[in-house]
Amino acid sequence: MSLLTVSNLTTRFYTREGITTAVDKVSFTVKQGEILGIVGESGSGKSVCCYSLMGLIPSPPGKIESGSALFQGQDLLKLSERELRKIRGNSVAMIFQDPMTSLTPHMTIGEQLIEAYRVHNKSTSQQAKLRAIKVLQEVGITNIEQRMNAYPHEFSGGMRQRVMIAMALITEPKLLIADEPTTALDVTVQAQILQLIKNLQISHNLGVIFITHDLAVISQLADDIVVMKNGEVVEAATANALFRSPQHPYTQSLIAAIPDSAKPKNRHAIEVNAGDEIKANAAATPLVEVKGLSKSYSLTQNTWFFSKKREFKAVDNVSFDIFKGEILGLVGESGSGKSTLGRSVIRLLDADANVLRIDNTDLQSLGADDLRRARKNLQMIFQDPFASLNPRFTVFDTLAEPLLVHGIANKNNLLQKINELLDDVGLERKHIRKYPHEFSGGQRQRIAIARALAPQPKLIIADEPVSALDVTIQAQILELLLELTQKHGLTMLFISHDLSVVRYLCDRVMVMNKGQIVEQGETEALFSSPKNSYTQQLLSAIPTLKVSA
Amino acid sequence: MFFKSAISLQELNQYEQGRSLSEDAFNRLKKNKFALFGLIYLSVMIVLAVFAPLLAPYAYDAQDLSLGATPPSLAHWMGTDIFGRDQLTRILHGSRVSLMVGFVATAVALLIGVLWGTIAGYSGGKTDAIMMRIVDVLYALPFTIFIILLTVVFGRSIFLLFLAIGAVEWLTMARIVRGQVMALRQQEFIEAAVSMGLSRWQIMSRHLIPNILGPIIVYTTLTIPSVILLESFLSFLGLGIQPPASSWGSLISYGVETIEEYPWLLIFPSLFLSVTLFALNFLGDGLRDAFDPRSSKD
Repeated sequence: MSLLTVSNLTTRFYTREGITTAVDKVSFTVKQGEILGIVGESGSGKSVCCYSLMGLIPSPPGKIESGSALFQGQDLLKLSERELRKIRGNSVAMIFQDPMTSLTPHMTIGEQLIEAYRVHNKSTSQQAKLRAIKVLQEVGITNIEQRMNAYPHEFSGGMRQRVMIAMALITEPKLLIADEPTTALDVTVQAQILQLIKNLQISHNLGVIFITHDLAVISQLADDIVVMKNGEVVEAATANALFRSPQHPYTQSLIAAIPDSAKPKNRHAIEVNAGDEIKANAAATPLVEVKGLSKSYSLTQNTWFFSKKREFKAVDNVSFDIFKGEILGLVGESGSGKSTLGRSVIRLLDADANVLRIDNTDLQSLGADDLRRARKNLQMIFQDPFASLNPRFTVFDTLAEPLLVHGIANKNNLLQKINELLDDVGLERKHIRKYPHEFSGGQRQRIAIARALAPQPKLIIADEPVSALDVTIQAQILELLLELTQKHGLTMLFISHDLSVVRYLCDRVMVMNKGQIVEQGETEALFSSPKNSYTQQLLSAIPTLKVSA
Repeated sequence: MFFKSAISLQELNQYEQGRSLSEDAFNRLKKNKFALFGLIYLSVMIVLAVFAPLLAPYAYDAQDLSLGATPPSLAHWMGTDIFGRDQLTRILHGSRVSLMVGFVATAVALLIGVLWGTIAGYSGGKTDAIMMRIVDVLYALPFTIFIILLTVVFGRSIFLLFLAIGAVEWLTMARIVRGQVMALRQQEFIEAAVSMGLSRWQIMSRHLIPNILGPIIVYTTLTIPSVILLESFLSFLGLGIQPPASSWGSLISYGVETIEEYPWLLIFPSLFLSVTLFALNFLGDGLRDAFDPRSSKD
């Protein structure tokens, strides 16, 4: 039985830059008790599509041009704001990506749940409270009486998302719209939340629209899948059919772009001609030596009369080496201290270490001026290509600066050097006078990589360089990093939360948890037989593409 | 482009020019009619002020005691004061002082405020705490008493006026800049600049200040009117410009005394001052919208 039938939905945005058709004649059906996955990369219109249904797009500039959305005999698109409000959060509920910003910070969880219930149901606060306790039980929150009086910030990310789901379920909706509900969560937590959504969907016979960019995630959940690109539906099929024999070339490229964690990386194939000689050489000489590195932050807690100082150890007594020419992966969940460690290694943050030596230079003993000169050899690639480039610098400026500061280029060969860098990272030379905002995310990350390469560094720290990118772009950037490290003989510390990416790229891997390195080893050895229980847990939580036979 | 001096432009010209953020902002500004009016009016006013000695129909200190105060006429478009001095001439000459105070004192405030705020905001920690406490202390000084003390010690001069007003106005600028810099400092491109091995000064001048130009320009256009008003206020108290030299402020204060007998002596300088303030405020609003695309509608 179909619960929601959307046909020919078109949404446009009228902005200063012109008219954008965000959703273009989209049709799909959600059946009762089934999960519909909407998959697409950023800007594909997958979220706008569902927001249009709920009357949640900002208008102006947004405008729903045409289409219908039949839900229980009513056309959602024709309802007035007041009628819609009766449906929103009642028979149709939504959960969002970021559970922190979707809960009101100044109200307790209990109050918010009770309010959500009483808006749509006449009841005493006692009845509402009982109902709230019941849904919290359902989403697996323990110690409920006490948790009801807690504020959102007292919950962890995963717990907050459970509360959000409880809030969505409290009014017994028929349809649940989940917009990237696990994207902001760590992989182990993600696995739990996905399981929870699946269980609830079955026990409540819910229809679910699950919006995501992650094919692996959706393959484990959905009955039917709609693939969107540039506002249009390019392919709609049952999950099994779609993954077994994708019809549209775009769907095929999406599936091909998933770094397949079950398959070892193809790097060794390329490396054979580089010879074992380099490897043997490299093994003897670590480029980076770290022994006993710790970084702690002091937190001040103000009570009525005293302020208590507490130490928080972000990185706790960590030791490792990075050998010349290798890519070392550093894996961990959010808050594990991996970014702090990466920055401490090149002294972007000052930490305490017994030994911190890079290329036989004791980094800790350097004064400010020497350290600045030493930075030529230590470069960094950042996560967010939108924030890591100076918006007022053209590509030329961005790349000229490191070249000139370190005296690598002079007046005569500056342009030539910059062009070489652009060629290296696969950017066209004609873009040299453009500004960052004129490029896409992937192109920007290429500029950032070129900037890191410019001073001809020995070590590059890459902090989640692909996690802000769409999967197809992600695959290209990984390919590029692999190619460049080999071409320039670079050594890289690659920080990521994404295990499949690390497996694809890295020679060795370190796993970090709560500020400590719990396991390290050759990539394949570590992935095939993890020793540490945390590593095992992490590996088993990776969502993999599930195709039933 | 920052480093174009390092290379001949000829070589670069073969490549297509990108759209910079400031170009975008200027294009948006051009669509805002009020802001455009403000810009044109101010340009005209500045030209008038610069060429006042050539344009003014009479010499600024020319008196005609037999004439006395007369209402507007063909010979004296805006009338004369009780000494028979041409009002239009005095307003034009006054605009030189008023606008100069506006621009110079604002420039002083801008220079000190931006440097102070940037250094404090970027350094953080103890340096920041000390620098900002100094600002707090200066804020607490009563402005009028400060000026009176200055005039008592150094005597009256127009440069003292610039200095005094600039010395007060930079405080707010420093606070605004510091706030912006602290927000910007968290951005990854600043971290990238550090990891590139740039010196603190290079980071501040190339990466920090150019990226807070938006708020700086906006606040500057809002400071100019407040500085012009301050000068008027000081002249009104008799601490500013002394006759026969004039400023809009001093003309207004004189006009107020004779409002019942010779209203035109108040009306015309007030008109010039108000329209200029309007123009500056329109321009300031327009610039704010232009630099912050989110705040504006199409």
